[in-house]
Amino acid sequence: MDYLKYVDSNSFLHKLDPRTKFAFFVVMAVLTSVIKSFVALAFLLVFFVIIWKSCHIGEHILVLLSKLKVLLLFIFLLWLCLGLFQEPKVEGGPVFFHTTFSWVGQQHVFCFDWYDFYKGAVYSLRIFLMISSFYTVLLTTNFSEMILGLRKWHIPYSVAFAIGLIFQIIPITIKELQAIMDAQSSRGLEIDKCNWVTKVKNYVTFSFPLLFRVISKGQSISLAMHYYKLDFSVKRTAYKAIKASRLDVYFIAANVVAIAITIVLRIMYYIPV
Amino acid sequence: MDFRVEGISYKYSKEGRTVLDNVSFSIEQGKVTAIVGPSGCGKSTLLEILSGVIPTLISNGELSGTFQKPEESLISVVSQTPENQLFGYGVEDAIAFGLENMGIPQAEIAQRMDYVLDLLSLQYLRARSVANLSGGQRQAVCIASVLAMQPDILIMDEPVSSLDPNGKSLVQMVLKQISLDGNTVILVDNNLVWSAGIVDHIIGMLDGKVVFDGSKEEFFQDFELQKKLGVIIPQEVEIYRGLLPYFPDLKMFYTVEDGLNQLAMMVNTKLFSKGNAPAEETAESIISVHNLEKVFGNNFHALMDVNANIPEGKITAILGQNGSGKTTFVKHLNGLYKPTTGDVRYRGESLLDKSVAQISRNIILVFQHPEHMLFEETVEAELTFCARMQNIPFDKEKITEVLTKYNLLEDRERFPLNLSMGKKHILTILSVLFSSADVIILDEPTLGMDSSLMDELEILIKRLKEEGKTVIIISHEIPMVFRAVDDAIILNNGKKIFQGTKEEMALRDDIFDKIHISMPPVVVMSKALGFDRICYNVDEFVEEAKALKVKEAE
Repeated sequence: MDYLKYVDSNSFLHKLDPRTKFAFFVVMAVLTSVIKSFVALAFLLVFFVIIWKSCHIGEHILVLLSKLKVLLLFIFLLWLCLGLFQEPKVEGGPVFFHTTFSWVGQQHVFCFDWYDFYKGAVYSLRIFLMISSFYTVLLTTNFSEMILGLRKWHIPYSVAFAIGLIFQIIPITIKELQAIMDAQSSRGLEIDKCNWVTKVKNYVTFSFPLLFRVISKGQSISLAMHYYKLDFSVKRTAYKAIKASRLDVYFIAANVVAIAITIVLRIMYYIPV
Repeated sequence: MDFRVEGISYKYSKEGRTVLDNVSFSIEQGKVTAIVGPSGCGKSTLLEILSGVIPTLISNGELSGTFQKPEESLISVVSQTPENQLFGYGVEDAIAFGLENMGIPQAEIAQRMDYVLDLLSLQYLRARSVANLSGGQRQAVCIASVLAMQPDILIMDEPVSSLDPNGKSLVQMVLKQISLDGNTVILVDNNLVWSAGIVDHIIGMLDGKVVFDGSKEEFFQDFELQKKLGVIIPQEVEIYRGLLPYFPDLKMFYTVEDGLNQLAMMVNTKLFSKGNAPAEETAESIISVHNLEKVFGNNFHALMDVNANIPEGKITAILGQNGSGKTTFVKHLNGLYKPTTGDVRYRGESLLDKSVAQISRNIILVFQHPEHMLFEETVEAELTFCARMQNIPFDKEKITEVLTKYNLLEDRERFPLNLSMGKKHILTILSVLFSSADVIILDEPTLGMDSSLMDELEILIKRLKEEGKTVIIISHEIPMVFRAVDDAIILNNGKKIFQGTKEEMALRDDIFDKIHISMPPVVVMSKALGFDRICYNVDEFVEEAKALKVKEAE
């Protein structure tokens, strides 16, 4: 399944004003960087799942999850390992192993307990929610709408166009990379049954033709901009207009309620990490 | 007022070679002018000058001469890759883009959009997203987006080079409509097969100079020039050229119907007797496909219960429109795709557990776009890539021999990506000669080739067969397919609807009607005139026609 690509559908999220979705991402990004309570974050995840389910983009989020699994696991293990050298900040809960040791003349603690798992889970969940909120916007807002939305926020057209163009080009580049990998393995380059060092080496090999393809596409795009008389110094008109509807109001209301519940849960079930 | 190119010369740098040398010609208003010539003749540079890319975007060259046109005239271009040209997610967004850039008010944009969509009969695409369009539809939308800007000249750069027959007919219809509507069009394309009926005026270029400037009729009479310029011409014109020495009263024809009308009075026609297709000598299957099904993630059934055998040592064509499952099918043969159900076997052994690289020791797929394959620093290194990957020994002498045979010796140390598109294709195919594979799959190998390179490709394919290789070819160049292949598999909407010999295929008009692909004119005409055998190339056709004429004289 494709990823980093708009999903053509007619769900309520697709129908929202792009500005509402941008605001959703900004608010959620702030919220997930502030909230460090697992219960609150778990509630937020449930809220997100309801949104994904109702918009039929759940499968795409699972694809994202599979792409992020190494990163999330790394974050989980990193915080788990860092926690091994700390006592739990709250009383209670199982401790699997506890000892003290001295190193460079200083006394250290080694404590493997539930709190290490808790911290690992909180940090991975935060990162996942942050990325998935952005991905939700990406899956439900095509790049033309993105440009329109950014323009409404008085972002200069050159900037809005560049952002839209990036999201137009990303799926093309992923497709190109896949085609290059397929073409090279068809000629005998082993990419399936090899160790990770060879895999990394192969990716370096693929980057060369990919670079040329991307440069050539970049040239074609700049030619097309010339053919279509794109001039950022000239005032443009717009064929389509965007405006908020009742759906936006309902979505904002739902978000306000969800944010309020998240904050309450954060206060009630806060465990310092 | 007509537009005039007057004494244009150009070099990309002061020390560089002269790419255009005193080029002069007129572009007639309301007519379709085709600019033809082999790769490197200066067509693309001329296009860049006419469209203003030179000197607006490329300003470091040396340009002299003038392009005389009214002030404020708008010249726009439709490129050969619409996916790189269209800006906007939806069809409406893409068409509106240029108009918005020009500052056209919203109401007028709506009006112009309606006009072009009606003119080109594309209203049905209006609510679609560009990404979900077929190649032909995308090109048609690209033409609509440029036409909506109401350019004084519309330049089309090889607009059908990557399209299937359905896509080509859509663009052909669009071009016909534009020309009837009185638009001035310049077509930069060395393939005149699809546009012969529409073009009015032809400019022939060679080594940066204009060597022909005249009407279509004059151009098609000059056989030597067509060959020299590597122009791909309709097979009807080739037939005319072959018959002319024996039928001097014959007049030029561009369509099968016209040719048949004339020849019906010059040869003894009879009813074509189908008879039986000659029995083919049985060949062992080298690849067998059993109950192959492929369902993609979005529940799209790309292949449905396909059973097929690829005969060893033969050339087999895989035919069908885009989306029929051809590429999906061949990607199962080399392991890039694994079947949802079913099996693929090479010499009886299942390929399901093998990696693509392991399979490549026996079966190699040469991709459609050479840029996906070429990444070595020199032509020589590229040539030996497969051999090195498979640890197959090779010697310098063989490399020199192959490079000499295919006119690449002087390019030996060149950077492969700097070769012309046709040469890049030849190079990717040649690299498999040094591998251990005995099955070679070619996916659309004629992309970007002129007529002489296509002839070379045909010879190369036949040579591979002589060397005992099995060749599988996906191609929309139907006359070439009928000339070169022994067998064919035809797919339609993911189902196999035919497998058999070329001779059997030539008798199945029903199948070709179903897939909306025309058989080559030589096949259609030899059947319609009741020849004793079906002809697959022009020489055979001329021989048969001569024989019938002689009988009449007797």
